[in-house]
Amino acid sequence: MRYDIAIVGSGPAGLSAAINARIRNKNIILFGSADFSNKLIKAPKVNNYLGFYDITGTELKAQFEKHMNVMDIGVTTERINNIYAMGDYFALMVNEKMYEAKSVIIATGMEYTKPLKGEEEFLGRGVGYCATCDAPLYKGKVVTIIGYNKDAEEEANYVSELTEKLYYVPMYNGNYNLRNNIETIKDRPLEIQGEDRVSKVILRNGELTTDGVFVLKDSVAPNQLVPGLAMENEHIKVDLNMKTNIQGCFAAGDCTGKPYQYMRAAGQGQVAALSAVSYLDLI
Amino acid sequence: MIKEIKDENFSSTIESSSTPVVVDFWASWCGPCKMLAPVIDEIASELDGKAQFFKLNVDDNPVTSTQYRISSIPTVMVFKGGNIAETIVGFRPKEAIKDLIEKHI
Repeated sequence: MRYDIAIVGSGPAGLSAAINARIRNKNIILFGSADFSNKLIKAPKVNNYLGFYDITGTELKAQFEKHMNVMDIGVTTERINNIYAMGDYFALMVNEKMYEAKSVIIATGMEYTKPLKGEEEFLGRGVGYCATCDAPLYKGKVVTIIGYNKDAEEEANYVSELTEKLYYVPMYNGNYNLRNNIETIKDRPLEIQGEDRVSKVILRNGELTTDGVFVLKDSVAPNQLVPGLAMENEHIKVDLNMKTNIQGCFAAGDCTGKPYQYMRAAGQGQVAALSAVSYLDLI
Repeated sequence: MIKEIKDENFSSTIESSSTPVVVDFWASWCGPCKMLAPVIDEIASELDGKAQFFKLNVDDNPVTSTQYRISSIPTVMVFKGGNIAETIVGFRPKEAIKDLIEKHI
């Protein structure tokens, strides 16, 4: 099934986009978390959301939930890894599974991990984000994996079957379930360096000589999520209609810029939904 | 469907062509490559006659992949007169890739 609009993110921008698209009778799918937004449930007091003076984040979340339930909009709690603009539709990837939508609204907030120094510069020249994709290209070479979560361990184990040497730099604490031939480096990576391609990773207390670096994160920057998406510094570049540089792809909320506020996010989500509706009428 | 190019005929093909040669470096185990393939097919038919399009399987053609130091796939390269005119690493939307290829036509 191909949805009319896929909304990625369940904060105020995504929810507002969802209700407005539903009012316009569009077939939508909303991806996000059951809590809607971590930032929302953590807010101690909100006094600048019109109509809700002196409300806590969790109370506001309950109001949002009531609104969603009345309109029969559910959240699909799957994490989208990549969104590919295929031309006349978008392919949204959840591991091996794929959803299709005619248009997309990105409302992912600003919770992604900032890139390391040198990471973007050497992308495709030794730096990669998909270890299982590119590992065979490093057969017999030295590879470093910077892992931000447990899932990265599984990829490290696979990659180590092919490489000469594998360093694993965990960015979290815990027990690491890694093969014996993997060397765990408990240090903080500062920078990826090289000449025309990657040659080393600089750590706080040393350095690693390496042919390749895979950075495996929890959440990626919007232009990693949607390859080809134009950014302006750390935000998605949008016009006043919340259009991005990719036809049929819109964005709303904190991911498009400051100020980071609920009402701005909800307003932008509404504009993005209405722009997506106009786009659907055209195609 | 675009044609396969191999180690054996790579140099001769990119050097002898009078139009730009576009090569999609891919492998069967690469998810984004699978998504890019139909996009490249569409561009190839739209630019028919203006550029030659090929795909190269990096598993089967290690000489070329090593020579051009392919370290991430998909990678799309545009060759002009045997030299690299453009390198596009990773998936890109159709219009973005088409624009980059048309720059060299």
